[in-house]
Order: sequence, then C-alpha cells, then structure tokens
Amino acid sequence: MNQSQHFCGTSAHDISRRVFLSQSLAVGSGALLGTSGAVHALDEDSLNAALQKTGRNVILLWLAGGASQLETWDPKPGRPTGGPFASIPTSVPGVHFSELMPKMAKRMHRMTVIRSLNTGDGGHGTGAEMMLRGRKNEAAIQYPDLGAIVAKELGRADSKVPGYVSFYSQTEGRGSGKLSPAFLGARYAPMNLDDGSMPPNLSRLEAISDLSHQDRARLRDLLSARFASGRETETMRSHSAAYARVHGLMSSEPLFDIEKEPKWIRDRYGPSLFGQQALMARRMIEAGVSFVRVSRAWWDSHGQNFETHAEMVPELDHVMATLMDDLDQRGLLDSTLVVAFGEFGRTPGVNASLGRDHFANAWSAAMFGCGLQAGAVYGKTDDDGNTVTEDEVGAGELFATILAAIGINPNKEYHVGARPIPLVNPGIKPIRSLLA
Amino acid sequence: MSTTANFQIAEEKKISRKDILFSLARVPESDRVFCGSSDGTVYQADLAAEKPEPTAFEGEIRHRPGGYVTGLALAAGNRRLVSGAYDRQLIWWDTETGKSIHRVENAHAKWIRKVVASPDGQLIASVADDMVCRLWNAGSGEPVAELRGHRIETPQYYPSMLFTCAFSPDGSRLATADKTGHIIIWDVASRKEISTLDASCMYTWDPKQRRHSIGGVRSLAFSPDGRTLVAGGIGQIGNIDHLGANARIRFFDWEKAVTIAEVEASESKGLVERLAFHPGGNWLLGCGGDNGGFAILIDPTTRKIVFEGKAPFHIHDFLLTDSPERFIAAGHNGLVVQKISGV
Repeated sequence: MNQSQHFCGTSAHDISRRVFLSQSLAVGSGALLGTSGAVHALDEDSLNAALQKTGRNVILLWLAGGASQLETWDPKPGRPTGGPFASIPTSVPGVHFSELMPKMAKRMHRMTVIRSLNTGDGGHGTGAEMMLRGRKNEAAIQYPDLGAIVAKELGRADSKVPGYVSFYSQTEGRGSGKLSPAFLGARYAPMNLDDGSMPPNLSRLEAISDLSHQDRARLRDLLSARFASGRETETMRSHSAAYARVHGLMSSEPLFDIEKEPKWIRDRYGPSLFGQQALMARRMIEAGVSFVRVSRAWWDSHGQNFETHAEMVPELDHVMATLMDDLDQRGLLDSTLVVAFGEFGRTPGVNASLGRDHFANAWSAAMFGCGLQAGAVYGKTDDDGNTVTEDEVGAGELFATILAAIGINPNKEYHVGARPIPLVNPGIKPIRSLLA
Repeated sequence: MSTTANFQIAEEKKISRKDILFSLARVPESDRVFCGSSDGTVYQADLAAEKPEPTAFEGEIRHRPGGYVTGLALAAGNRRLVSGAYDRQLIWWDTETGKSIHRVENAHAKWIRKVVASPDGQLIASVADDMVCRLWNAGSGEPVAELRGHRIETPQYYPSMLFTCAFSPDGSRLATADKTGHIIIWDVASRKEISTLDASCMYTWDPKQRRHSIGGVRSLAFSPDGRTLVAGGIGQIGNIDHLGANARIRFFDWEKAVTIAEVEASESKGLVERLAFHPGGNWLLGCGGDNGGFAILIDPTTRKIVFEGKAPFHIHDFLLTDSPERFIAAGHNGLVVQKISGV
C-alpha cells in the first residue's frame, strides 16, 4: 500500500482507512479530539431528526487565490478601475454581470449575489481560514470549518458515504485555510481528494477476494455481536458503526468513477477538471454527501489579470450554469445550496503588469439553491468599487447566512468542556432578506 | 536608463498620465503622435511643445469607455487614422479634424489586439482574440479578406488569443502570432498560409500549481531585408501570478521555417510588447515590462544583447522617429521620448 496516499483527516496529514477507523472509534468512545475538551452538541437527537427532515447539502465552489469581483459579479465598465470588459444585462432588470458570464447572467433570477463583502483580510492563508470558518481562529480555540459543521449537522449518522469531501487538485494555496473539524473530531474531517478524483486505497486489496472480504466482515460482525452481548455501550455501537462506515466507503467506489455518468452529461460539464469535479460533486450530493468543496485554483492575478480572467471566468460561468441546470433537472436544487467565493477579491486599481492585487474591502460572493431568495442582489459598492456603500457584509454574516439557508441555526452552541462555542460569533446574524 | 557597453538610452521628455497607453501612431516628419488609451479614447499630442498636453479625438462614433485602444495605424496618406479596441470596433478618424468618420462596429467577435497598415498604406490588418486576422481597405474601410489559421482554443481547451501581426517591408507577407506561440506567415496577395513557426517557449501552461496560462508572442517584426522575422514575448514562468520571467526574443529564418537564435534578457523581466529594427539594420529594439519597464538593444548580426536597461514604465508600444535613434514610447501612466546614443 502506498502510505503517502490515503483519505485525509486534515489537509496536513493523510489518514488511511485504518487510521480513519481508529479515529472513528475514538470519537465514539468519547476520547478528546482536536482540543482539550469533549464536544457535547446541545440537542443531537433532535438535530438528527431535523437534518433527516431537511436533507439539505452544500457545494462550495472555492475560488482559491481570489477571483476579481469586477470581472464577475460587480462590474464597473467605463470607470478608471473597470478594466476592459463590458457588462451585460442579466435576467433581473437593472442587474449587470461582466460580459464573461453570459450563462449565469441568463440565470440571475435563480441566484443570489452579495456585492458588499468587507472581510478586511487580504492574506491568502488568514483570509481563507476566516472565510471557511466565518471568523478567525483564536489562540485558545480552533474553529471547525463550514464543511465540518455541515457534515456534523446535516450528515446522516447511518450514512455509508463520507459526509464531507474536498477537491483541491492544484497545489497553490491548497494548505490555505487549513480545513479542520477542530473540536468536532475526525469523524467530520474532510475526505481530501487532492491528487485525483478517486480516493486512493479505496479498493479492496487484490490479494483478498470479494468472497473472502465478505467472510471476514461476517466473522467480525459475529465476534463483535458476541462480545457486545450484555455490553450495550456507546463504545460498542461506535465500534460497529465505524466498521460499517469503512465498508460503506469501500462500496461507494463507483461514486468516484465519473465514467459511470453518461457521456452526454460529462460533455455537458465540459472538459475542464473543474467541470468534471463539479459533476462529481453532484454525484456525491445525490448519494448523500452533505458537503462538497470543489476548489478552482488559482486566481491570484497580480500580472495579466484580464487575460487570466478571460481564461478562467468563462469556465466558472459554464460550470456554475451547468451545475445549476443539472441540480434543477434532478430535483436537487431545492435541497442543495451552491456557494462560490474565495478568500478575497481583487483591487479595483490596475497595476503596471495589468494585474489586480489582493483586496478584501469590497468584494462579492454568489449563491444559488435552497433557502435563498432567488434573483436578489445584496449590498452595493461605490462607482469605482473601492468601498462598500450599502449593507456591508462580513465573513461572519456570510457564514451565518449559509447556515441559515440550509436550516442550521447559526446561534446553536457546542460545548468544549464547559465553554459554550456558538457556530458564529456573538452578535453575528444571517442576512434575513436573502433567506427564503 | 542605464548604459551598457557603448550604448545609452536617455529620457528626453516625459508626459505623466493616469491612464494606460497601449498604442501609438505618428505622422512622419512631424512631432504629431496619436495614442490609444485604456479609457477608450484616441488622443493626439504635439511632442514639439514644451509641455505637450494630449487632446482627445471626438465624434459621434467613439470606442466604448474602458475599451482599451490597442491598435492605431495611419492610412490614406496619413489623412486617416484607424483605431482598434477591446470593444471590437475599428474606427476611421480624420487626422486633420480629429473627428470620427467611419466605423466597423463588430469588426471582430472578441478583443482587437493590434492594427497595422501595409507599407504602401493600402491595407489595414487587424488581429483579435476571435483568432482571425482581417484585412481592410485602408481608405474605405471595406473588408477585403479574412485569414483563419490560428486555433480558437489552447491545447488545454481554454480560449486562445491572437496578439499581434506585422507586414514584411515589401508588404507581400503578413505574420500573425498567438498565445500558444504559433506564428503564421501569410502571402498577402493570395491570402494563403505559406509558413508556420513555433515560439511555444513563450507560452506557459501551469497544469499543477495554478492551472491556467500566461505569456504568448506579443510582438513581431521583419528585418529591413525581410528575410528574418523576430518574435517577442517572455520565457517560461514558474509563478504565473506575475510576469516573473526574463524577456525573450526569437529569431527565425521564416522562409526555411527554422529558428536562427533565441535571445533571453538577463535583467529585464516581463513581456516584449514591441519590436522594431533600425531602418539600416544597425540594431533591433525591444521594449516591454512587468511591473516596471525595460528596453533592450540587440545586434542583429551577432544576435547578442548590446544594451539592457530600465524604462520609466511598462512600455506597451513605441515608434521610431525620423531620426531612428529617437523613439517615442507609450505605456503605464505615461508617454516618453527616449534617445539612443552611442550607436
């Protein structure tokens, strides 16, 4: 077995199927994970009932490196900062996108745009960490990222597929933001698919026949049941559940095989890696994965911003539009939230390399799917895009809005030891006017 | 600017601006120049003035604000100026009145990158990111021909870009070059492709770290005898967030379709945006930049760099004057007159 390629529990450390199993067992037995305190969700049983009721899930299109708001959702044509692209009308009167987004422009009535993000952190690592958590980590506590929270809150306890999958095929910025379940524990860590779209080591070893594999499982079940008889504890249940999950993961191998999709659907998403991974995200959502991050790196266009965006935005436009249509046609759009943003936007000023630099003071995010008011544009920037002039939104408000849209109460609290940890910082509220 | 060996380039006059100037044209035997701006305007300036103040061309027909004016060419005995811009329009201007008189609204389907006039002034050639080179009657603005041969997409299925073109000195040949480094030589009379050249060394596709591309052939020039074609761009870039590689120029014997030499700058980073030979073939001048600007002089015989120095800004275009040792350069936030000495 190639030990360098496994399922990952964190972005920094790969976790093999075997390690995954041991960590799952550890979670069930109440061992300390992530921080020095055990986690006690306030109302886990009722939550599980609620999540089964909602059945919602999230696809995050992570625009790593920072896509330009001016070349996507908030164009400023004709202004000194506007760059060379024209704007085009969308299906919502009065709302314009960059001319690079004709497909999403036709679908604006089905989506939501926030143009007034002021997140204040123009660093790749620190910005990503904040946007993925809705706040900055503290010295004393590391917060779980969005995917981990969604996997915990919306994932089915009996699910045989992973709750949280992250694609990040490019290497630049892969470590930014450090995906982590933190105190939620490794059970909610992402399965990181970095070096391909198929998890390594998922397949049964060739030396073990399918029959032998099944026999071994039956024997383990038998022995476990015998051992557990009269020992009805959480640890016993967790032990069996963890093995069931591993078997579930192994049996979900076809989920990662995009060739299982008809060719015409694969063609529809286009030949790009981003498109193919977006299709895989749809397959996973369909199969019950709660949160999938599809990363598209690298937008950090300090040089030749306009040519970079001329290359990358049409791909984003095509993939987003195809994903929207596909989810809709499969009846998944009412239960799936798709969000697109990165760690920041880009400067209105154009540098001497015809580039735009990091900018977190007035930028945009886009969303569509469940729980949102479709056709809404929230917030406004000034004529040159330098400042937010209406309805400023911080990372926390965006985070809270995403949670609320998928039916998670942002004010819910976890406890790490005796310390209550709300999902968002105190005082942070979702943008009510954007919620359906 | 600095000095190398016996060469020196010195700044004679500089006009600072807030916009970016992408293109230049000049009426021969005069100090009158025209500049294409990032604000979508064509300006004219009298460089003989102590403090030249560019004034805008006007008219009911104009480029879209923000449509970078990337191509300018004089036509019809210098009575007409043809501008091409990212707004896809070609506009004919009366150089005496400064008024627009004719336009082709959708001259191309994508950004127009370059506009040049044939040596006899009869034809205008325009290239754009729709990957088509179009020939126009310089006087009437009527379409004459379209040359298709560049691939619409890069090998990685992303939109390609057709950056530049140049006529041979006798006007019988036209060279066009794209983002992937593919160069085509066309026979102007028959509109046929007669040769292709490879400068893919100037195209960087990063498949792993950042998964997009940068670079391409940004400038072309035929030698005064028409036998050599030079292509300017940038070398392979490690970190494509920036134009972080040395400027690069490749010499071709285009008739044999072979590379004669490749020259890589040692101190100058960024794109070679413009190339021009001294009319007598004494030197080849290349200018461009990244966050800063540069000028490079090359001995066409030895194909060695004889001068390399910083320019006051990233240069997007330059023109030799009637005295070829003096050139006018336009670029990021400025216009400058430079003099080459020691030649």
